[in-house]
Amino acid sequence: MAAAQTRIAATAVTDGAVISATGLTKRYPPDVTALAGVSLTVRPGEFVAVLGPSGAGKTTLFRCLTGLTPPDDGSVSIDGREIRRRHVFRGTRGDVALIFQQFNLIRRLTAIENVLVGRLARVATWRVLVRRFARADRQLALRCLDTVGLLDRAYTRADQLSGGQQQRVAIARALAQDATVILADEPVASLDPESAATVLECLRAAVAAGVAVVASLHQVEFARVYADRIVALRAGRIVEDAPAAQIDERTLELIYSKNGGAQA
Amino acid sequence: MATGAGAYPEPVIPWLSKSRLRLVAVLVLLAAFYSASWHLAKVDPAKLLSGLPRMASWTGKAWPPAMDELPVLLQRTGETIAMAAIGTTAAALLALPLSVLAARNVTPSMAVYYPARWFLNALRGVDSFVFALLFVAAVGLGPFAGVLGIALHTWGSTAKLWAEAIENIPLGPLEGAAVTGASRLKVLAFALLPDVAPSMVSVGLFWWEFNVRASTVLGVVGAGGIGQELKNSMDLLLFPRLLTILVLILVTVTVIDQTSAWLRRRLE
Repeated sequence: MAAAQTRIAATAVTDGAVISATGLTKRYPPDVTALAGVSLTVRPGEFVAVLGPSGAGKTTLFRCLTGLTPPDDGSVSIDGREIRRRHVFRGTRGDVALIFQQFNLIRRLTAIENVLVGRLARVATWRVLVRRFARADRQLALRCLDTVGLLDRAYTRADQLSGGQQQRVAIARALAQDATVILADEPVASLDPESAATVLECLRAAVAAGVAVVASLHQVEFARVYADRIVALRAGRIVEDAPAAQIDERTLELIYSKNGGAQA
Repeated sequence: MATGAGAYPEPVIPWLSKSRLRLVAVLVLLAAFYSASWHLAKVDPAKLLSGLPRMASWTGKAWPPAMDELPVLLQRTGETIAMAAIGTTAAALLALPLSVLAARNVTPSMAVYYPARWFLNALRGVDSFVFALLFVAAVGLGPFAGVLGIALHTWGSTAKLWAEAIENIPLGPLEGAAVTGASRLKVLAFALLPDVAPSMVSVGLFWWEFNVRASTVLGVVGAGGIGQELKNSMDLLLFPRLLTILVLILVTVTVIDQTSAWLRRRLE
């Protein structure tokens, strides 16, 4: 993809982390500490899986990374720019794409129209109002759908697609957006194992194009197969940060034991 | 399980309990309210009984309906439908931006939301009949006053219902579109509109249908349409003409109701 190549060139110049979070702390009064000084750096073209039992702080970490929840302490910067509190419509940034557990596609639009949402920020307003996109944008959207293997469903309405297909459309939208970072909170939690594997393969395709992906996962096996690196959270702290290949039974015990046993 | 009765304890309510007293109090209040209303509304069944024969004799005199002025009456009916169509469409165009401001989940700020809501409630609170009365004084007799009256009242009603439709849509898809960095206008036009369009069109059709019914009486205050002919015929006691007009209204309203209902079903 031409867009992806220019992106790699651009990130190579910054030579370093595309996400850097330092000392993230978030307390929910009276006595819940969701995050207790979490620091994390992610490089371009890296797939980081976040593991941890329920209540370990995974969702809070994602909300801090996206700016949906401001941390009590610590900071997040993406591409060298600090993330501030984000309202639905305010301070949004085109270089970060979010993937949601519930897909969040626009149900009544076709797959290709949902992918074109990724172009909205760069398209002239009159084109959006009359729903007439330039040929170059339409071609790019089709190419992104091809990347996630859904070219044949381009003109199908989003609510006619299966859950796994909808999540792949969401990934295609992130690709069309030219994002440098994809943050995915539980992207496969509501999918069957087969669809989940396909979705994770699509995220790998994005990683191959130079995007940094951070995804929280419930299934350790998926993390081992698809991620480059595994970050394990427990009680708001990072208890393990290692290449996926190094994760063994001992580390899993460290993450999950004494906390109601291992969770699938 | 069919052991002896009384095996399970049940709550015992004393004869003179708090809940019983409350029920009696409510019943007494309701009785007082209806008896006061009965007197204030001057309900008098005897008058109805003595008036019925007069109504019956009018009905007898109304047959056969007068057909000589049918072209004029048809034109007046057309006027009524046109008033409703123009008034409702103008209201819809005005309601579109205001419904966004008055929807809690997408409004730019609460400082805009509350004034928008108050404004809409004020428009809604005044009936199109009352607005038309005011506009007859301002722009003169005729259907244009009716159009303005319909437009103002419908503006408030439509925008309020649309705002509620917007508030009921899931925010996730909007969030998904907004985080790509697109501006609010683009997100609303591209991501919100397709979601709410069917219910918006449905509400619009309902108000058009409602306004056709409403504008049959607007003529009574001089705001044009078939209602004007209705009032004239009543004033001059031209019963055959009155019957023609009533039948025309009934047919028109039924056809519009059915068409609108059919269109709204197609939107599901």
